[in-house]
Amino acid sequence: MSTLSTEVLIIGSGAGGAVSAALLAEAGRKVTVVEEGSWLDPDDCEPFSLEELVTKYRNQGLSAALGTPGVAYAEGRCVGGGTEINSGLYRRLPHDLSQEWVRRYQIADFDTATLDRYATEVEDYLGVSRLPGPPPPASAILEDGAAKLGWRATEFERAFRYESSGRAVKQTMARTFVPRGTAAGAELIADCRVSKITFEGTRATGATCVRTRPDGSTEPLTIRADHVIVCGGAIQTPALLQRSGIHGTIGTGLKFHPTIKVAARFGHSLDHGEVPMHRVMEFGPFLTIGGSASRKGHVALALADTSVPYADALADWRNVAVYYAAIRGGNGRVRAVPGLRSPLVTYHLSEADMSRLARGLVHLGEVLLAAGSTELYPGLAGGPVVRSPEELVQWWDAFKRGTANVMTVHLTSTVRMGEDRERTGADSYGRVHGYTNLRVNDSSLLPDAPGVNPQAAIMAIAARNCAQFLSA
Amino acid sequence: MLSFRRRVVAALLTKVEPERRSAAEAYVEGALGAMPEHLKIGVTADSVLLSVWARAKHPFDLTDEALLELVEGWETSRLAPVRQYARLLGSLVIFAQNEFPEDVAA
Repeated sequence: MSTLSTEVLIIGSGAGGAVSAALLAEAGRKVTVVEEGSWLDPDDCEPFSLEELVTKYRNQGLSAALGTPGVAYAEGRCVGGGTEINSGLYRRLPHDLSQEWVRRYQIADFDTATLDRYATEVEDYLGVSRLPGPPPPASAILEDGAAKLGWRATEFERAFRYESSGRAVKQTMARTFVPRGTAAGAELIADCRVSKITFEGTRATGATCVRTRPDGSTEPLTIRADHVIVCGGAIQTPALLQRSGIHGTIGTGLKFHPTIKVAARFGHSLDHGEVPMHRVMEFGPFLTIGGSASRKGHVALALADTSVPYADALADWRNVAVYYAAIRGGNGRVRAVPGLRSPLVTYHLSEADMSRLARGLVHLGEVLLAAGSTELYPGLAGGPVVRSPEELVQWWDAFKRGTANVMTVHLTSTVRMGEDRERTGADSYGRVHGYTNLRVNDSSLLPDAPGVNPQAAIMAIAARNCAQFLSA
Repeated sequence: MLSFRRRVVAALLTKVEPERRSAAEAYVEGALGAMPEHLKIGVTADSVLLSVWARAKHPFDLTDEALLELVEGWETSRLAPVRQYARLLGSLVIFAQNEFPEDVAA
């Protein structure tokens, strides 16, 4: 068995872990980052491809929260975590939401000015910006449809930089904060799964891990550390804490954005390489409309969701793109089950949530038809294909728990930060209640689903928490 | 009931060119093998029950066509596990079918 010692052990290398590693290493701390997945060159495979699914997603993308309906979800599992597989869309935490969290969860030093300061630092480094030119057709459709209906639509910024050739390069953690951290002296250990965090009383002493060698064999690894920061994301972080004997509110309160999709066919070709940047915000923050990855495989899946013949539409797939309606709603739980590698995830959507999702589906249909779509295939088993606004009413009747194909990608809130110990698992800076040197610094800390892509909030909060760690 | 599940996948891929079929089958097997344990247990249990169901319906003539017809019905079944089983296998096959490049066999 190998043993190594470090000052700060960071578990996970996604948006929270990579930012933490870079900032703490640059401040002179001895940092070791362990990542369960492999180091993969961000250019190794095409975004949203089958190859990416197999190599960069946990469980090859086949994860689901149990419930009625069950909800499929995705997590990254590679160096860079979720930032390697997401759309790169970037949106700051809405101010009114952060201030609501301050009141409800008693979070200290969480004012808008503080968050904006850290967000600006992150954005300047990543080159967060809008597209340099006009939006591609699949994105312009949302802007156009919203304008015709008199609805608000916004172009989201993205964590992309543009090369002189015009190529847009997503600024994932494997391209940015991870190399920045290693350049400052952080050690990165990939292919290393943490089994448990070890303790002496209320003090974390490190972790026991299993490292996979390049030949596929494994070896146990013990890491001793003065501080442990868990950044495994909203599913893996609570599961690890539970495996390590920490329970209480840990794992409760899981939140995400339940999402339902529509495949929309147009009379002209669309782009399929990128996720649309526009979002319809008319019904925000509780309901958002946007666009999804629309490679041929995604188009086929979305068409097939309807359970009606779709060969004709698939043959015309270059004129089809996938769009979604997402809500803030529902509540779930993550439980580590002894003997099982994967935690059990459950999620409940209330009748009000289901009603809001159905309304979102209908609004999505309205905006797509207004933008000129000729055929809409809803993510409803047996749901009718719609060709005019008058037909959209049929989706209300077809929308049921047993027919709706619901998925999500933004998972948050399984630890929650704040001083209200009955509602939170960590203090205002991510230190786990009851432990002196064990912290969480990832999406688990967000007290609720933010209603927008959470990466910006995760990174700004991670930077803020690191500053507090360094000053403590 | 691994063999029944493989038969369902093979039946769903009958219209795919042979050179891409084996790659798609391997992908589906790999993806199902990568699922969380509790989901795998559910899929295995479904396979057992649906195998019995299929053989009861077609004791002597469970052809690919008959199997496909059954799977099509399961996709809109009122029983959630049955519906989810058919949709899961169907989705994996559809994604593989449409994402594998033409020259995958090479």
